[in-house]
Amino acid sequence: MLGRIWAIALNTFREAARIRVLYGIVVLVAGANLLAIVLGQMSIHEEQRVARDIGLAGISLFGSLTAIFLGVFLLYTEVQRRTIHAIVSKPIERWEFVVGKWFGMAIVLTILVGLFAVAMAGMLTWQGVGVSSAVVKAVVLAWFEVLTVASIAIFFSSFSTPFLSGIFALAMWGLGRVTPDIEAAIEHGSPWIRTTARVALEIVPDIHLFSPSGRIVEGATVTVHGDFITWGYVGLSSLHALGWIVGLLAIACLLFQRRDFA
Amino acid sequence: MSAADTVIDVRELRKTYRTPFRRKKVEALRGISFTVQRGHIFGFVGPNGAGKTTTIRTLMGLIRPSGGTATILGHQIPSRAARARVGFLPESPYFYDYLTIGELLDLAGRLFGLDGAARKKRADQLIERVGLGRARTQSLKKFSKGMLQRAGLAQALMNDPEVIVLDEPTSGLDPIGRKEVRDLILELRDQGKTVFFSSHILTDIEAIADRVAIVARGSLQSTGTPAELVKRTVLGFDLKVRIAADATVDELTAGASRVRRVADELAVTLGADADIDAWLARAHAAGAKVLAVEPRHETLEDLFMRQIASADTASAATEGRV
Repeated sequence: MLGRIWAIALNTFREAARIRVLYGIVVLVAGANLLAIVLGQMSIHEEQRVARDIGLAGISLFGSLTAIFLGVFLLYTEVQRRTIHAIVSKPIERWEFVVGKWFGMAIVLTILVGLFAVAMAGMLTWQGVGVSSAVVKAVVLAWFEVLTVASIAIFFSSFSTPFLSGIFALAMWGLGRVTPDIEAAIEHGSPWIRTTARVALEIVPDIHLFSPSGRIVEGATVTVHGDFITWGYVGLSSLHALGWIVGLLAIACLLFQRRDFA
Repeated sequence: MSAADTVIDVRELRKTYRTPFRRKKVEALRGISFTVQRGHIFGFVGPNGAGKTTTIRTLMGLIRPSGGTATILGHQIPSRAARARVGFLPESPYFYDYLTIGELLDLAGRLFGLDGAARKKRADQLIERVGLGRARTQSLKKFSKGMLQRAGLAQALMNDPEVIVLDEPTSGLDPIGRKEVRDLILELRDQGKTVFFSSHILTDIEAIADRVAIVARGSLQSTGTPAELVKRTVLGFDLKVRIAADATVDELTAGASRVRRVADELAVTLGADADIDAWLARAHAAGAKVLAVEPRHETLEDLFMRQIASADTASAATEGRV
């Protein structure tokens, strides 16, 4: 089983590594870090803050967008180009194929997040700031965010077209990042709006957990520039991510199991 | 033949699709039944849209049947255990075009659970066997249609399968490529393997198949050995004579269903009830030299055309009633 999943993951990695857009994204993130240096110089004694914020935002934003891009295309193109015919006709279960696809994407995204983090670390070092444990925790959380978004994209891609999957995944990611704000906003809405919104929020992963900087956690405001979250928080957030990843992939596998490849 | 000799057993297999928007029912398979015996080459023949590919994709677990049952090597489909012992070449195979033939076979070997050394050894053997040794370093993107078909055959044989299912293996190949594929199928049969292949190229089926099934409009029209299927009765006679280029041939072509004259050669096709002796006497009297007299039997093509026409008529009648 693991050998077959690894075979699919390895092939997915090979496929993704050939997508030139990814190299463009790496250059873009490196450029964003250079821009952070310029913007930092323009600010009044806020160089470090600007550098950290732009660096971490780059990982979260570009990592998640890349996850959506890969997730909605890599599974769909297998079906559309019929390359899947020669694969699922071999002794592999369809769920192994879906999980292998996700793992392949996870490898690519991990490398990307690693490259983004290295670029940010370089920029911070250039600024004479260094990499604090708060930054490391924030990068780990961003990594889990990206992996969760990848599973969202794979989930939609298991039954929909890339265009619709992209829209759904973007909507789910966006909602997931602002769920506390939505909850706060709907407190003043009518009862049925509140109920509908609460149900809707229940089916969206709490992606805001992966960007806690500037929010109140356990009664105190945390910030990556000062007092930040504990490793315990990182652990719990990673469990939340794993729960969603496993759940979404399980549903994606069930949906994929029922599909005809005509 | 005992049940143990039955490698593929298809019973009342049905597949119904719904069109995307109007939800109209489309019956791709209407209760197809047949068996394939061990060590046979089984030709599955039919026009485009007959249901050949749907049957094959159902057997290989790509499509879920709407009804009926099928077993491969005793395993109910879809079965991972059966697929481990089957090699499959899809129709117009599409592979990851960024891989080389070696990488494609390595991927196939991994999915079949072969270890690294076995994968390498088997891949090397198969690359040479299908004649792609000189294209080892090229990506599949640069392969011609014929080369891709050979690559597809190689990946189908990675697990040294007992049963090989080939969907249109000779489609799109030039005559040399078609002959090579036919020779490979015969070689596999000689090794004791069972080959189930679909085609709409009747000469390929007639040349190598031990048994044939004709399918049209999702239904099986007939199945049997080529000798059982085609009638051995004489349908007519093909005659060829050499005659002076300026000679009149009206007496020889009267009543002929087909006449062809090229320079001093005259070819005539007469019906089964024609008096051949009288025709030959007329030919001698006209100074012609007889080159050939051949009785014409029904061919698989004749049978195929007859059955397709019959299936079309039956389908039109059914639709008319509806």
